[in-house]
Amino acid sequence: MSGTPVVKAVNLVKVYQTGGLPVPAVRGVDLTVRAGEFVAITGPSGSGKSTLIHMLGGLDTRTSGEIWLDGKRADTLSESGWALLRRRKVGFVFQFFNLVANMTVADNVELPALLGGASPRQARERREYLLGELGLADRAGAAPARLSGGEQQRVALARALANQPTLLLADEPTGNLDSRNTRDVLRLLGRVHGQGQTIVLVTHDARAASMADRVVSLLDGQIVDDGAIGSARRRPGGTAGDVVELRG
Amino acid sequence: MNVWQSAEGRWVRADLRARRGQAALTVLAVAGIVTALIVAATLLEDGTNPWRGLFERSHGAHIWIHTKDVPDVPALRALNGVTEVAGPYRSAPATLVDHGRRVPIALQETPPVLPSVARPLLREGHWLNAGRQNEIVVEWSFARALGLRPGDPFTVTGLNGATHTLTVAGLAESGDQGFYPEWTPGLAWAQGPTLTLVEPAPGRTETVTGLRLADPAATDLVVQRAVFTLRNQVQRVSTWREVRASMELDNRLLGLLLALFGVAGLVAAALAVANATGGRVLTQVRDLATLKSLGFTAGQITRMLVVEHGALGLAGIVLGLVAGGLINAFALPDTVVAPLAPGPLVAIVLGTGLTVLLAVWLPAWRGGRTPPLPTAPATPPRGHLSRLARVAFLVRLPPALVLGARDAFTRRTPAALTVCGVAIPMMMITIGLGCWATLDDFIRHPESVGQAAPLSVRPGDLTAAEVYERAMADPDVVAAYPGTELDALVPGQTRTVRTRALGTAGDPYPFPVAEGRMFRDQGEAVAGQGLLDLLGVRIGDRVRITIGGTPLIVRIVGRVVEPEQDGEVLSMGIDSLAAKDAVPPGFYALALRPGADPGQTRARLQGQGLEVAQAVNPADRLSVIRVIIVALVTVLALIGLANLLTAIGLGLRDHVFDLAVLKAMGLTPRQVMATLVTGTGLLVVAGVLVGASAGALWSRGLIDMEGRDSGVGAGIGRPPTPGMFAAAVLIAVGAALLVALIPARRAARAQVPVTPRLPG
Repeated sequence: MSGTPVVKAVNLVKVYQTGGLPVPAVRGVDLTVRAGEFVAITGPSGSGKSTLIHMLGGLDTRTSGEIWLDGKRADTLSESGWALLRRRKVGFVFQFFNLVANMTVADNVELPALLGGASPRQARERREYLLGELGLADRAGAAPARLSGGEQQRVALARALANQPTLLLADEPTGNLDSRNTRDVLRLLGRVHGQGQTIVLVTHDARAASMADRVVSLLDGQIVDDGAIGSARRRPGGTAGDVVELRG
Repeated sequence: MNVWQSAEGRWVRADLRARRGQAALTVLAVAGIVTALIVAATLLEDGTNPWRGLFERSHGAHIWIHTKDVPDVPALRALNGVTEVAGPYRSAPATLVDHGRRVPIALQETPPVLPSVARPLLREGHWLNAGRQNEIVVEWSFARALGLRPGDPFTVTGLNGATHTLTVAGLAESGDQGFYPEWTPGLAWAQGPTLTLVEPAPGRTETVTGLRLADPAATDLVVQRAVFTLRNQVQRVSTWREVRASMELDNRLLGLLLALFGVAGLVAAALAVANATGGRVLTQVRDLATLKSLGFTAGQITRMLVVEHGALGLAGIVLGLVAGGLINAFALPDTVVAPLAPGPLVAIVLGTGLTVLLAVWLPAWRGGRTPPLPTAPATPPRGHLSRLARVAFLVRLPPALVLGARDAFTRRTPAALTVCGVAIPMMMITIGLGCWATLDDFIRHPESVGQAAPLSVRPGDLTAAEVYERAMADPDVVAAYPGTELDALVPGQTRTVRTRALGTAGDPYPFPVAEGRMFRDQGEAVAGQGLLDLLGVRIGDRVRITIGGTPLIVRIVGRVVEPEQDGEVLSMGIDSLAAKDAVPPGFYALALRPGADPGQTRARLQGQGLEVAQAVNPADRLSVIRVIIVALVTVLALIGLANLLTAIGLGLRDHVFDLAVLKAMGLTPRQVMATLVTGTGLLVVAGVLVGASAGALWSRGLIDMEGRDSGVGAGIGRPPTPGMFAAAVLIAVGAALLVALIPARRAARAQVPVTPRLPG
């Protein structure tokens, strides 16, 4: 793969101050993700994988090091600069879905599109398309609390994709789901990747990691292994069969 | 683009929909405060300035032109700015003979059908009837001063000396003439033939014509034009300004009190809004973090919150404006005649609006600073059982009490917020009660505001000695102090100040001396705070004044509480004046036996043919403030309870897992509830006590400060009475505990899962 990497981290360091003591969470990570790649970051609890992905999306500040998004330096951006960047280029999926409780499913999905400058009509069309693709068309008017965990995570995924982001960051998206819903969400991620979406997935679930092109293992804030998964195990994406399988 | 369709609009709409009840409460709280302020300001304005209401109701004329003959009415009507004309009416001077007194009056002709402009407002009795001559309607304040009632005989002597006995048909008010005795001569309305009967010579009557203007500000210009138009016919002109000035009460104290209440109301509004917004933002931290992760900027979130909560406040202001207008129009149609002047109205609206926006802005700004990461689970509260708590357990105090007490103060910031949320409204309630106690004190001890003598008699056409004898003959009169009131020129001022000579240096009138001492010698005087401020002098200084051309040097030896003339009064013994000013005395101030009824004594003395005036207690003028105090205390109490509910709600949110632990440890639901109520109750008791004590300490100082600024002078403020204080504290604590009980009961019974905190 060639061209500008979608995201590049250079010697990224994060040190938390807890009670006056420095606690390093990420210790000099170098990571490059190219367009269309599906990277899984794995590691035990406390290895710094969530901190890393939060820094890549600008939700957390780095202590030192550089972050480049789409060939532009991003770590020097202000909080507002990051917010504007996220609107256009980054979609987030969280472990606990983080849907806005007061808003309907439709509003949750349309929110980023509206924020990104789409007209209400465009936002609605995009939402209808995404919810249709994810099998949630009939839940558009529901409140998130009335949805099952799997459904909520699918709504969160739709919301993350609303602005067609360059980079999808998923932080333990299956960590709070049962096995059936886990399978559904992973298939969806695979399908989205098959359509060319660049994904960085944080997980400690080996099955989820096996979906990716490449698995990065973190331990104590450092990369201990970074390798591509054999092409034989890679799933061909975007076939009709996949869709049938998903809906089933 | 439709604002509701933007990302921010969607969020605001969804949030408002999700908490309709809370939003409605915020709107109602702000509306309540604005309503209270508008009604209070209207009542105060009406109370201090009765002219406005009278003028409005009587559709008065702004200018009255007195001419020898009938003027050219069409020319006056054609003047630019004149909308309507009253009259022309004939007017004749005459003398009323009443109980041996002779009082000058002005008889004014009036049609039997009430005119549309400058219409007298009948208060008692009936209006003049074309069929019945020899009847007369007397101006109300004049009738009150003379003790006239409908049906009484009214004996007038014309300039030719002939005496006619007329009958009082009714009493009416007018916005075209000031109150008697500030405005003389007294006014009586009669029909044309009656007037001719009393004053048959046409040369001795004059003609009055009233002009009603489109714009009162153009008065001076219209007067000039009218005088020019009528050439040399005009004898004199009076305008609405003079009438208004003669009716105005000393309203500086009232204005200051209104300002105090206004500030209290605004602080209450700020508290209510800040608390509602702050509480809401705190419970929304997760959602706000999510919005940030979606790409909302801090400024966008702050703006969104300000718009949402500010809109609620502004809706409250609009609702309050409407409610205030409706109350003034329908609930108080008799007391409130004219709507509130634009000045105070704009001040109330802008003041509340700014307060609301400021109160909303801080929590909104904090909401905007929410970090974009979903909040980490709150760390368990620090703190351990103190030695005191261990002792408490050892002596077998109920565990709920000990745990509740520990709970109350473990989380310091929320505890401080709860205490403040209760203490501030409580403090303002206590200050309100202090105002109430001060008013009570005015009434119970009128001598402390310079009204040791509730009655004063004027000699009229009796000699001073006769007046003194007749007054002292009354069984209830214990002392009669000779007095006179004069205007004195003071150095460096272009206007005069009131000089009151009352009592003598040897037998001084009991002025309420607040500082320094009473005058004991000729050439010594006491002054109100207003006069000391006006002249920039202090106790012990000498001042040189000029009374009727005679210079007089007096030494100010003390400061008195002076409720009249904004405190700009110099008081001395009558023997300090030059004899030409002091003899005969202008009036006698009568001190009554304790417990005597001034009204009865006055009636008896009037029966003796004396002209008696009764002093108006400042508390009676301020009685409208009592209504406002009750309204404000109610609003403040509601705000205190709302603050408490927000605090309890937030506390429960933080406590959910502690509750599970307590239950796991084996506490019964009742004990859990007792723990929660103890935790809240201790904070409430602390807040109530702190607020009430601060209020009691400050109320006296604040009222004295108001007194000093208004010229009355320090020394009038009273703290709330112990009974009132205790009742307020007990009611506040009781109500707060009742309010705390409901959520505590619900929380104690709820099933709490003992699992990690589940967000979302």
